[in-house]
Amino acid sequence: MIGDAVRSHIASSGHAVDWARTIGSAAEHLSVGDYALVLLDLQLPDGSGLPFLKGLRQDGHRMPVIVVTARDQISDRIEGLNNGADDYLVKPFDLGELSARMGAVARRTAGRPDPLLTLGPVVIDMANRSVVVDGASVDLTAREWAVLDRLALRPGAVISKAQIEDALYAFGSEVESNTVEVYVSRLRRKIGASAVQTVRGVGYRLTAP
Amino acid sequence: MTRRLILWLTGVTVLLWLLTAGLGALIMREEFDEVFDSSLAETAQRLLPLVVEDVFSRNSGEGPKRLPHSPGMEDEEYLTFQVRDQDGAVLLHSHDAPAEPFAAPLEPGFADTPTHRIFTTNAVSGSIVLQVADPLAHRAEAMSEGLQALLLPLLALVPLSVIAVWTIVRRALRPIGALSAQIGARSGANLAPLAPGPLPPELSTIAHSVDDLLDRLRRTIEAERSFTANSAHELRTPIAGSLAQTQRLIEELEAGPARDRALQIERSLHGLSRLAEKLLQLARADAGIGLAANPVVLEPIVRMVADEFSGSRAGGHPIDVVPARPFLAAAIDVDAFAIALRNLIENAVTHGAPDQPVTVLITPHGVDVTNAGPVLDSAALLRLKQPFERAGAVARGTGLGLAIADALARAMGARLTLISPARGRNDGFQASLVFPEGAVGPAPGGRPES
Repeated sequence: MIGDAVRSHIASSGHAVDWARTIGSAAEHLSVGDYALVLLDLQLPDGSGLPFLKGLRQDGHRMPVIVVTARDQISDRIEGLNNGADDYLVKPFDLGELSARMGAVARRTAGRPDPLLTLGPVVIDMANRSVVVDGASVDLTAREWAVLDRLALRPGAVISKAQIEDALYAFGSEVESNTVEVYVSRLRRKIGASAVQTVRGVGYRLTAP
Repeated sequence: MTRRLILWLTGVTVLLWLLTAGLGALIMREEFDEVFDSSLAETAQRLLPLVVEDVFSRNSGEGPKRLPHSPGMEDEEYLTFQVRDQDGAVLLHSHDAPAEPFAAPLEPGFADTPTHRIFTTNAVSGSIVLQVADPLAHRAEAMSEGLQALLLPLLALVPLSVIAVWTIVRRALRPIGALSAQIGARSGANLAPLAPGPLPPELSTIAHSVDDLLDRLRRTIEAERSFTANSAHELRTPIAGSLAQTQRLIEELEAGPARDRALQIERSLHGLSRLAEKLLQLARADAGIGLAANPVVLEPIVRMVADEFSGSRAGGHPIDVVPARPFLAAAIDVDAFAIALRNLIENAVTHGAPDQPVTVLITPHGVDVTNAGPVLDSAALLRLKQPFERAGAVARGTGLGLAIADALARAMGARLTLISPARGRNDGFQASLVFPEGAVGPAPGGRPES
């Protein structure tokens, strides 16, 4: 029940979600795809999530991991963090808090803990999911926000089209060939054409317009 | 116990020695009397022919004749004698014997006077009587010297006996002392089996029994902890699922009665979640968590717990953590400490002034949690540790927080003190976890490990 609600909540904000119900399934997903962030429950049908997390780190996986669990003791939290978790959220939690934690962890991992990003006249508030251009608030759809969020995690860096597709579509989803271009185009219209630059043959990058 | 055992063993040894000496003295006295009497009789028998001849050579009508000292025997005589006629008149007496007759009858045999043992024999049809006297003082002196020979070693024996008994008892009780120290080191924080070592068979049985008891206790505590951990999962997961689904529903519904009802369900689920958490904490407090074998540094735990409430979180409250330097540590269970502290901070946030920070001060005595707010009277303070007590008018919170903190404080060997107004202020409330003297000390190595 909680997994379904969490997936629905994250998807509603424009992010793609793959939901693995067992450790074995999670391992398969991680072996074939790159993920921006992992939410890990500790009590899973085929074992504890902690050894799995430890194994991930030992195998060199660097993506941020937030442990989501009913184990509420401080010793559990310390153990989780010591095994490689980036954050620890105890059930039950508000979905809003989950989003905030995910955003904070993703920014911290990208080396940008400040949620406010100013690129000339464009001010992006990652925590509150708001964009202001020349002092005026801009409304973005969930998918547009997901594209901007992916680019804004590393402003100035080139993000490949495949990476943006991964952020938009879950594993196994059918992706139309020009989807990324469509959302980038809409984004340019809202925040400024020069804010999102195309690096031909490589991808896109977010810059000050 | 060792001192009492030593005293008892020494006392009994000395008493037995005294009894043995007393019995020996009685036997010695009897044997001495036999020897002295035999010697007295023998002397009389040997002396009798000599004195008869001497009496016959004596002129009639002469007074008692005193024999001179034998040459070379001028010392005091042990044995004295008198030769008396059948009427008792003294005819002849030895040099040291009195001229007056001995106060003893003339019948042959032994007789006692207050000062002498006298043997009487006669000759010439009883007309000449010989009485040989042995002073009782002489016998007493012999007896005294004999007794001294028996008792003098006792003076040396008593201290020697104490040393020997002390050594033997200490050696014999050493395994008991070691076992006792090991059992004494066991607590709620250390239920490890006793270290195997060479033990006498009697103590091995005790050690095995204690190990069995510790094992049962450990399994019971683990079962309780496991039960509370599983209960936490079983309770929290469905509440979490319901809450998440309700929040999705709220997001999808347009404003209206249906959304209002969904919001009401969300509030109820939040309340249910808080109550479930408190009941789980109470169960944990009863599960015996409290002490730990190794010291834990307090500051990282305090900061982690304070962070759960801090202003950086949605709906958070400013929490000022005032650390102590050097870093302080205590041998307590981190979970027990964290739950107790979480309840104290939650209580301060819930009931304190909303616009002023809660202060968490780490001290060498423990932790003080202070909040601004109205002053509580002493009667209200006394009631606050009772479950479901909310200090009267204010109905927020579950009313279990301070009761849980109090139970966990006791499990950690500490006490929870509540004062209002807070120390150094005119208002507010202060809850302190106060550990016993010496329980909180500088962290090993001076800094927390993580």
